[in-house]
Amino acid sequence: MVGSGIQGLIGINFLMSNTRRNTLTAATMVLPATVVIVVALVLPTLILLRYSFNQFDPTELMISAFTWENYAEFFSVPYYQSVMMTTLTVALLTTISGVIIAYPVALFLARTTSRFKSLFVILVLFPLLVGNVVRAAGWMTLFGAKGFLNVTMMYLGLIDEPIEMMYTDFSVYVGMLNVMLPFIILTLQGVLESIDYSLTEAAENLGASPFTAFWRVIFPLSMPGIATASILVFILTMNSYSTPVLLGGPRFAMMGPTLYNEITENYNWPFGAALAFILTAVTIIATAISSLYFRRRLKSFTV
Amino acid sequence: MRWFLSAFVFCAFVFLVLPVVFIVWVSFFDSVFLTFPPPSYTFKWFVAAAESPVFFNAFTVSLYVAAMSSMLSVCFGAVASIALVRYRFPGRELLNGLLLSPLVIPNIVLGIALYIFFIAIADRFSFDATASNVGIVIAHTMMVLPWSIRLIGANLLGQDVSIEEAASNLGAGKWTVFRRVTFPLMRGGVVAAGLFSFIISFENLELSLLIVSPGRTTLPIALMQYLEFDMDPTIAAVSTIQVVIIAAVLVVTDRFFKLSRIV
Repeated sequence: MVGSGIQGLIGINFLMSNTRRNTLTAATMVLPATVVIVVALVLPTLILLRYSFNQFDPTELMISAFTWENYAEFFSVPYYQSVMMTTLTVALLTTISGVIIAYPVALFLARTTSRFKSLFVILVLFPLLVGNVVRAAGWMTLFGAKGFLNVTMMYLGLIDEPIEMMYTDFSVYVGMLNVMLPFIILTLQGVLESIDYSLTEAAENLGASPFTAFWRVIFPLSMPGIATASILVFILTMNSYSTPVLLGGPRFAMMGPTLYNEITENYNWPFGAALAFILTAVTIIATAISSLYFRRRLKSFTV
Repeated sequence: MRWFLSAFVFCAFVFLVLPVVFIVWVSFFDSVFLTFPPPSYTFKWFVAAAESPVFFNAFTVSLYVAAMSSMLSVCFGAVASIALVRYRFPGRELLNGLLLSPLVIPNIVLGIALYIFFIAIADRFSFDATASNVGIVIAHTMMVLPWSIRLIGANLLGQDVSIEEAASNLGAGKWTVFRRVTFPLMRGGVVAAGLFSFIISFENLELSLLIVSPGRTTLPIALMQYLEFDMDPTIAAVSTIQVVIIAAVLVVTDRFFKLSRIV
């Protein structure tokens, strides 16, 4: 008894000196990665934050100051608020329609026993990794005045004149949905795979129809996945740049392209910086509200 | 009901790959302007793409940046993941959050922040990071680092620590344990992290947009600049080349690491 107690003490002692040495080793090991993040992310973001409080001057461009006027400008000019509303609307509609379309696909991927399962996953992941620019080019060949859809419809006699599809809300929504679907499908698939499907058998044995079994058992269990996927895609859509620029054109103003132009074309760094932080803040707030909503939904399901 | 669901899933897959299929198809059309159906098929746009100095330069820049940043991120990410997974130390959670933060901050905001940061450095220390590929390599390393850490970390978590303990109990030193036990077991995760980082860097647009100087643009930027004017068959050919490269890297990655475990 006494012996093991002493051994225990020595053990603890040994562990303590070991912990300190471990901390030192661990610190050295994470150092390079941390330096990269601090230099290329933390410092630049802090400087951007500082600049958002500077003053803009048409001749001197930027004057060092500490003012809230850039943030105030966003709230006093209706144009920027309408851009924000457009951005929020696109993000919300993309998220909702995306989850509805992605759910059956994710369920299929989670449940399939096909030996081609890995191929199906690659098929979802592949468009995501090809990049937005290449996909936008693809949509142009479909939506253009001489694009595949117009030519086909005119050939079939459905229309006489080409319909304008490029640079409309339609092309932006289709392009955005295409970009976001893989994210939703893969997130949902992860959650749907971890569910114990013998529960549906239990429900069905107790007399529930397959649909009821799904709706009352599987669907509530997949709620956390829906929450994660929605929040991820909402953030990504809010901050998107290439899809609205390439498929929406200059008339379709979302926050990403607007703040980019503020920096590169108007050289108004302070206001551009303020817009960047307003966008980030609105995204964080909207995300917090939706996670609250999902938590409540989750409770109403479990009670 | 089942039939309806299968049809729906099939349509969703078609929708996902539709733009990629079309751009590849169009790149073989033998006409300067987009015409459906094509008069005939040709390879000449691929020759035109290879002979275009703009696209060729952009292609080499993209390859270089993707290779450098994936290599750096794998080296830094691997040692950091070992520390994060195998050691317990104060501030571990916080550090983990910090290292994954490039995933949270929008790329367009990061791009602007880096652009302003590089100008500030050029003003103060007369070192222009955008005059060479140094700036963009640092930026891309930062962007892909979380993917390396996640992939290698997931691989490490799945491994049995007792094998390492057995080796060190049998008298192996720390370095030997790493070289002979830990690293061989990590290899799958390391290769997958490298390839995946390569893809993410190769297709990135938003982060690179502002931090490249003229003549040093990456492939997605060159494509974007052309696309804003017109849809040209050379663009389709360049896009197809990008599609083929990424598909090849993706298939190789899947051999090392089941991709369904990444995202």
